[in-house]
Amino acid sequence: MTGREVVELIKKHVGVPWNEQSYRDTFKLGNPDSQVKGIATTVMVTFGMLKRANEAGLNMVISHEDTFWNDRDETKDLTSNPLYKLKTEYVLENDMIIWRIHDHMHAMKPDYTVVGSLRSVGVKGGEDAVMRARVYTIPETTLGEFASQVKRLTGSRGFRCVGDPKAKVSRILLGPGYATPRITADADVVIGASLGMAKGLIMLGHVVSEQPGMEDLANWMREFIKDVPIKFVPADEPFWT
Amino acid sequence: MKLINLSRRHFALAAGSVVAAPFAAGAGPLTAGDAVKRIQTELGGDWPDMGPDGFKAGDPATPVKGIATTAMATMDVLKQAAKANSNLVLTYEPTFYGRADGRALAAPVGRGSAGLAPDDSVFKAKREFIEKNGLVVFRLRDHWQARKENDMVAGLAEALGWSKRRVKPDDALFDIPAATAEETVAMIRGKLNLRGGLRAVGDRRGVVKRVLLCPGTMTPPTMWQRYSEVDMIVAGEVREWENTHYAADIYTIGERRNLVTIGRVASEEPGMRFCAVWIKSVVKGVPSRWIGAGDPYWRAA
Repeated sequence: MTGREVVELIKKHVGVPWNEQSYRDTFKLGNPDSQVKGIATTVMVTFGMLKRANEAGLNMVISHEDTFWNDRDETKDLTSNPLYKLKTEYVLENDMIIWRIHDHMHAMKPDYTVVGSLRSVGVKGGEDAVMRARVYTIPETTLGEFASQVKRLTGSRGFRCVGDPKAKVSRILLGPGYATPRITADADVVIGASLGMAKGLIMLGHVVSEQPGMEDLANWMREFIKDVPIKFVPADEPFWT
Repeated sequence: MKLINLSRRHFALAAGSVVAAPFAAGAGPLTAGDAVKRIQTELGGDWPDMGPDGFKAGDPATPVKGIATTAMATMDVLKQAAKANSNLVLTYEPTFYGRADGRALAAPVGRGSAGLAPDDSVFKAKREFIEKNGLVVFRLRDHWQARKENDMVAGLAEALGWSKRRVKPDDALFDIPAATAEETVAMIRGKLNLRGGLRAVGDRRGVVKRVLLCPGTMTPPTMWQRYSEVDMIVAGEVREWENTHYAADIYTIGERRNLVTIGRVASEEPGMRFCAVWIKSVVKGVPSRWIGAGDPYWRAA
């Protein structure tokens, strides 16, 4: 099975019309016609993740985010960059293939980034969640206690909060990645990754918030790709404080 | 929106007409429109109606009792400004939570939110507070940071105690006393009075001597070109799938550099403190002061 054949199967099962205009959801590096030995799903193609995938014998990487440190994976300013050369050479020498699935993942029903993110913060009932998710209710607690729970469950180190830690909260609104939801009066806590009448805002960090859903994506792909192993290979939480 | 449009028209009259006698210097109380006109004249350049800089709320015909500069006109900053009789507020960042800053945008640009709609309850409450307290809010970003003497960098350097450590006058490079990244970060936290907003990527035990300061945000090409020159970049905020990702990869290949983001607003506060001092030399006769917005973030236990 080639990389191109894997992508064709995904397009067939994704459940939404494929947008050929998406600059995000394309092959980024490697030969799409190379034979796939195994597939790694990940939130971000970090160099560390690439090495772990290769060492596990998984030569096709399916990533939610970019490879070359900018959303369009534009490389014209990078041709003489030493890190770019190292990363590119590593991929090509090991006959790896990188393909991104971002826009279509957020259009899928459910959107696994939201499903995974809700599960990872301990909010129940989000198995069918889509982007622009609804408000979820949890047993009443304080913002500080809820934040501690989220931190413990996700292992986020880059985790930041805004609001009164003593405020009583029970209504949770979550947007993964950069899609921090509009703060509304309908929710007590808004969970996003990147940027209050809600009482609190919790920002998980991009990797931590969208990562869990890549395991759901791997599970989904196993339903229609049976010939090669598919594994979720996490990217590192980048922050040390 | 209607009120703001009216205010903008008032301002155009005030700023554009030499026969607008009530607004001429010395012929009456100094209005917000007059004060802004002086600032615009001093800074020069074009001030297009659809640019980010401009009046955001309040009536430009309001007589100015005092001027407050701030990195971001939060509700807390506005309350402090009202209390201190600083009724003209100059803010570096938006008042209404996005680049539209209270105006309707035809379509969202790029990723992220364009901001609240003008009929949003939070938007309305904030605008009502501004109007009820006779405040006037003007955004001053592009023209302030475009000054030859970039006080956003100079202000942050002074706040960190690095003013005399600049490598060359036209660059934001600083050679600081050698210390580990952890020690340098602890120093930065203390000097800037940060709570939970600082985040760092790289080798925490790496030795830091040369630092690049990037208050505000930083584009990926800047990161790619300049990270290899320094031991540490101190920036406001960056996108995590872009510059944070690059710093993580640089760490993976064994380099000991660090990318430290201190928070967008935290990085811009010292520069706006410098702005308050500069305003004194441009708009005389009314007090000018800086009001800090503070680090909004805390960390969970």
